Amino acid sequence: MLRSFIEFFSFSDPNVVYVVVGTLLIGASSSIVGCFTVLRKRSLVGDAIAHAVLPGVCLAFLLHGEKDPLILLLGAFISGWISIIVIDLIVENTRIKTDAALGIVLSVFFGLGILLLTHIQKTGNASQSGLDSFLFGKAASIVGADLYTFGAVAVLLMVAVFAFFREFTLISFDPNYAQSIGMPVKWYQLVLSSLTVLAVTVGIQAVGVVLMAALLITPAVAARFWTHRLWLMIVLAALIGAIANVSGAFISYAAPRMPTGPWIIVVLTFLAMFSMFFAPQRGFLSKWRKARSSKARIFEENVLKLLYQLEEKDGNKKVDRSIQEMLKRRDWKHSEVKAALKRLDRRALVTGQSENWRLSQEGRMEGQRIVRIHRLWELYLTTVMKVAPDHVHETAEVMEHIINPPLEKKLMRLLNKPERDPHDSPIPYAEDDI
Amino acid sequence: MIKRVDNSILEVHDLTVSYHNKPVLWNIDFDLPSGIVAGIIGPNGAGKSTLIKSIMGLISPDQGYTKIFGQPLNEIRSRVSYVPQRESVDWDFPASAMDVVLMGRYSERGFWGRYNDEDRKIAKQSLEQVDMLPFANRQISQLSGGQQQRVFLARALAQQADIYFMDEPFAGVDAATEASILNLLREMSHSGKTMIVVHHDLQSAYDYFDWMILLNRRLIAVGPKADVFTDELIQETYGGNLSILATLGNIMQQKDYPK
Ligand SMILES: Nc1ncnc2c1ncn2[C@@H]1O[C@H](COP(=O)(O)OP(=O)(O)OP(=O)(O)O)[C@@H](O)[C@H]1O
Ligand SMILES: [Mg+2]
Repeated sequence: MLRSFIEFFSFSDPNVVYVVVGTLLIGASSSIVGCFTVLRKRSLVGDAIAHAVLPGVCLAFLLHGEKDPLILLLGAFISGWISIIVIDLIVENTRIKTDAALGIVLSVFFGLGILLLTHIQKTGNASQSGLDSFLFGKAASIVGADLYTFGAVAVLLMVAVFAFFREFTLISFDPNYAQSIGMPVKWYQLVLSSLTVLAVTVGIQAVGVVLMAALLITPAVAARFWTHRLWLMIVLAALIGAIANVSGAFISYAAPRMPTGPWIIVVLTFLAMFSMFFAPQRGFLSKWRKARSSKARIFEENVLKLLYQLEEKDGNKKVDRSIQEMLKRRDWKHSEVKAALKRLDRRALVTGQSENWRLSQEGRMEGQRIVRIHRLWELYLTTVMKVAPDHVHETAEVMEHIINPPLEKKLMRLLNKPERDPHDSPIPYAEDDI
Repeated sequence: MIKRVDNSILEVHDLTVSYHNKPVLWNIDFDLPSGIVAGIIGPNGAGKSTLIKSIMGLISPDQGYTKIFGQPLNEIRSRVSYVPQRESVDWDFPASAMDVVLMGRYSERGFWGRYNDEDRKIAKQSLEQVDMLPFANRQISQLSGGQQQRVFLARALAQQADIYFMDEPFAGVDAATEASILNLLREMSHSGKTMIVVHHDLQSAYDYFDWMILLNRRLIAVGPKADVFTDELIQETYGGNLSILATLGNIMQQKDYPK
């Protein structure tokens, strides 16, 4: 394994160089275009195009008689392009919806392609083996001459996306508005679709018809997790696509009987899963952690509130309260109360040790604030919203953790700085002596 | 009741619009003066969005035409601005509020231009006008519905047009936003701009608009609100005899009549 790794990445074998550069270009260019496919919610279109290129490849082969990659690519491009035109025509002129039109085009074109492929195989043409790689991809067979094609296509795609960046952004985000300012939206959509066809045509060299949609879509989806900026998303997608493709090529180099395409997709899927879980902000893990930390904060606030209420009840600020005493009042677990108190201690909101704690001055202010909001909200519900007093406690339990100082002030002004809540408990204010 | 005006800036002439051979607007014919806030009022499915979409050239009508400032739309696009319904786009798009507002400067720059400092200045002013400057760099998916609506308005303002078509700018915004949008509309109309606003809430319509266009598949009335906002006309718009047109539309769709 290590040996083949060194062999592969030392690029001593010129064939390896071709494969690495080739797959890298393919991965990057299809991912760039794929970003717009994803943003325009056209993921299925990628799949349809990928399947629709097959009859073009076969026809080109039949007409030309041998496996010239350029001719095959041309055939693929033409039939992919026809397929998107047909999809558009169906959607515009019949009442068939887009997804159904995609399904129809995909199956008809692919069926035709398989038919032609079977015919070619029956006639037993020797160079036909090259055609199979179109179905499942065979990056390992990339040779020097292919690189020029891939390189040219990759450069073309990058330049086009760069040149049309504002236009593609506009028609992807808000095509109605784009048209309203007189942009030739249809034309730009056609340009974008043609670029997609081009990317797909080249991409099937690496992963084949069946998995091409994944190569187009997955890098963009993965990249979206990491950023809110479109250009950065495009750069990241290109990077992810390139990494996946080169790793796929390496795996099939190390184990020659492994097909490239599926391995590329496995790596891509792994990268997408990784992004989905670990990306900051949008990733599941960060969302989960945020939810957990706000849960912890709410619990801390509840502990402060309880300590404040205990003080309020006996008017004594100078005694420690044991955790046991707190548990009598609330349905909490001993361990979680203790942990929360330790965290509060670190923020200097409580003082004490192990089982016995009391509020610090700051902690008292905080506890009082929560009690105040709770009671203000209850009063707001009963007086302004006319909710029965016995129904207000539950929502106040939630609101006390949500209402921020400006809202609190508004609430207080609206209620004329009231003295007592609906249950006749006093509403404490910061300037009261505490 | 269709009030004619002498110096009209918008002329809608005998417009009929269909989706898949099913007419949803029938022979709409009216004109509007400049410097007003006009409301297009009608129940859900009345064809309000369809009307401004076809004025903006997004849908081609079966028959009829519209002229703005006496010219076809294509001649004077830069003086016309459109605010689509907020739900018509996906707000999870990777863009900041500023990015979206800058789109309003695209028509000025065109394909060969780039957004420059002047565009950024205008975009900032537009955001300021709708109280959204503090959120200029905020990702649009992290804005509230009302804030997103204001970003859309700012984009239209950045176009510095003379006539504005807005599709439901008051939908799903809170009272404070509603008041500030209304203020903006009034200010703009006082400075001579014309604001044409789709709205479906009857309660507030009378307070918001100078002129009203009552619409339900066909044109019920157009004119200054005092003339138009009568029990009878409102009844005709919201309760009235829609069923005949709706049924007729369905028949035409089934028969696939030639347009
Ligand atoms: N793209 C479309 N294809 C087919 N029918 C459509 C399409 N868009 C709208 N319609 C139909 O045309 C009619 C008018 O729709 P329109 O959106 O103009 O109404 P509206 O007055 O804006 O309603 P709302 O208040 O719900 O926004 C409706 O019956 C609607 O179902
Ligand atoms: Mg509408």
